Amino acid sequence: MGLLAAGIGAGIVALGAGIGIGMIGKGATESIARQPEASGDIRGAMILTAAFIEGVALLGAVICILLALGIGQ
Amino acid sequence: MVQTLRRFFLTLLFLSISSSNTFAVNAPEQDEEPILDVMGTVADHDYLKTPAGKIYLPRIFYWEDASGESTLDAFLTTKSALSSGMFVENDEGAIVPAGGGAIVLDMSITSHLIYFWMGMGLAVLLTIMIAGRYKKGVGRTVEPKGAFHNTFEVLFVFIRDDVARGNIDDHKADKYVPFLFTMFMGISFMNLFGLFPWAATATADLTVTATLAFITFLITQFSGTRDYWGHIFWFPGVPTWVRFILTPVEILGIFTKPFALAIRLFANMLSGKIMIIAILGLIFIFADLFGSVAGMSVSIFSVTLTVVLYALKVFVALLQAYIFTLLSAVFIGMAAEDHHHSEEGYHTEHIAE
Repeated sequence: MGLLAAGIGAGIVALGAGIGIGMIGKGATESIARQPEASGDIRGAMILTAAFIEGVALLGAVICILLALGIGQ
Repeated sequence: MVQTLRRFFLTLLFLSISSSNTFAVNAPEQDEEPILDVMGTVADHDYLKTPAGKIYLPRIFYWEDASGESTLDAFLTTKSALSSGMFVENDEGAIVPAGGGAIVLDMSITSHLIYFWMGMGLAVLLTIMIAGRYKKGVGRTVEPKGAFHNTFEVLFVFIRDDVARGNIDDHKADKYVPFLFTMFMGISFMNLFGLFPWAATATADLTVTATLAFITFLITQFSGTRDYWGHIFWFPGVPTWVRFILTPVEILGIFTKPFALAIRLFANMLSGKIMIIAILGLIFIFADLFGSVAGMSVSIFSVTLTVVLYALKVFVALLQAYIFTLLSAVFIGMAAEDHHHSEEGYHTEHIAE
């Protein structure tokens, strides 16, 4: 049961993080296309925001690992 | 065609999951070392793996015996601690005092601690070496010599100009450069040491990353200005009843920032390591299920993927060190920022009231 929960959870985590980081990438590439001279600043902001999303996603991933290993039962 | 392929892969997936599961359950009963010990490779150990063999590390216990008397004991290895008769191993494999009582503080030197020291030590050593060069004038009066010195200068200037000065107020930024640069170099080295097949990744341990994040937390709080604390306890420019909601949220925010910092680095390094082991482990799972020919043919796919993943991991190791440093700088910058109240604060306060 823990394995099943971990698998489904990992899938949902990947879904959420994928949508989030994809939207950041979309925004960043569009902005760079509009204003190529600001690409350095935009890239920095992109990495920073992606890191925030990644942090939340990895929090979920850690819980999935704990579930899969049956720690805390 | 696609349907058939999909069904085939799904079957394989289920087979591998169920077989590895029974394998994991049977392993402790047979009392032999499992072929695939995923958590064992990322967990902390009392020995240091080297290509030549294992080096056992000292154990230091601060413990309390049954009568409540506490002593500090150090042993060269776990074995000598057990053979001294003072400690025994319990059912879960943990070390406990033989005559009852408990270990209050386990200050044993572990593999992750060694790699932590190696990473930080190398960072300090490199910095001192290069600092000696600058003192002699190389890099100041004449241009830096050699690829090594040039790389160092590029990294340092990047941390100073892009990370520190870009996120912290200009006149304060230089004060934090030593801290940020130590973090960046130390974490980079720890992450890169973890890429050796025999080595342990110190940053794949929550205690290590939590310690690093705690240092950032302390520095953030101590560099907080009056405005920073004002924004936490009495947010300017909002109605009073909103402040009762905002204050708990802001107080929580102080702690969630370093917490997320620690988890981010930890989980990134841990998942990278587990991914490599899982993909290489496919070889053994297939060999176990369908014989050695299947194992060999899967190894072509697995090894290629692992090489690609390793290249990615080098990038991730540096990227995570950069992100940790960058976020530290952002948090410190937010706390140390000077607000210009005559322009924003009072203005918004007037509009709100």
